[in-house]
Amino acid sequence: MMDDQAGRFKVGRAMSDHRPVYLNLLKIRLPVPGIVSFAHRITGVLLFLALPYAVYLLDLSIESAQSFEQVRQSLDQPFMLLLQIVLLWSIAHHFFAGIRFLLIDAEIGVEKTSMRTGAWLVILAELVSIVLIVIGVCS
Amino acid sequence: MSLYVLEGLRPWVIQRVSAVYIALFILYAAWCFFSADAIAFEAWREWLYYPFNTTVVGIFVIALLFHAWIGMRDVVLDYVHNIMLRIFILSLLVGVLIGSGLWVFRILLLSVVGQ
Repeated sequence: MMDDQAGRFKVGRAMSDHRPVYLNLLKIRLPVPGIVSFAHRITGVLLFLALPYAVYLLDLSIESAQSFEQVRQSLDQPFMLLLQIVLLWSIAHHFFAGIRFLLIDAEIGVEKTSMRTGAWLVILAELVSIVLIVIGVCS
Repeated sequence: MSLYVLEGLRPWVIQRVSAVYIALFILYAAWCFFSADAIAFEAWREWLYYPFNTTVVGIFVIALLFHAWIGMRDVVLDYVHNIMLRIFILSLLVGVLIGSGLWVFRILLLSVVGQ
């Protein structure tokens, strides 16, 4: 019985020696639906973090004509333009991926192939909207 | 952790219902933005303080707070396993969300009071 246990232990050790001890992010191939799902989470967190600042800008924009101009000028700074592109992209992604998840909840397009098609459609809609966002923000 | 607010089907339903309302509001807001003659202070103020818009913005903020709370709560529950740290971060989230919400309602109510 002792031998048996030792033997099992040895097998266990040998197997564990070949297991990756760290996750190489460059070697992990996430399927497209996985990417869309994870991006949905990241964009959600980004939008949450932006919320207090957005409320602050809302307050300034409605307070007086001067503070409205102040908001308008601050939004024209290079960093703020970048921030607007990132946040508007986040909204676009969260919007399209969210609609996809609602459809999946309603059991529309649950098969593997249509899950993949749906994920690609989200990415396509997002690419179109990011072009429109960059044009809109920078003009 | 078996706190009532952390479990059950209810958050799942609230997340979806609020999502639908937020999506509809985004479409309405985008339509207003792109059909506006000019983006100027007076027009913007008039838009926000128009009763219908004040109301839908108010509902939007409530929907957004619930939506953000459930989403962030799920993220924290997935990645933070230490109970004390969890409670701390969740409390912080509630503070930020309720604070932001009250701030927006102050802005919206000022239109009724007339400053």
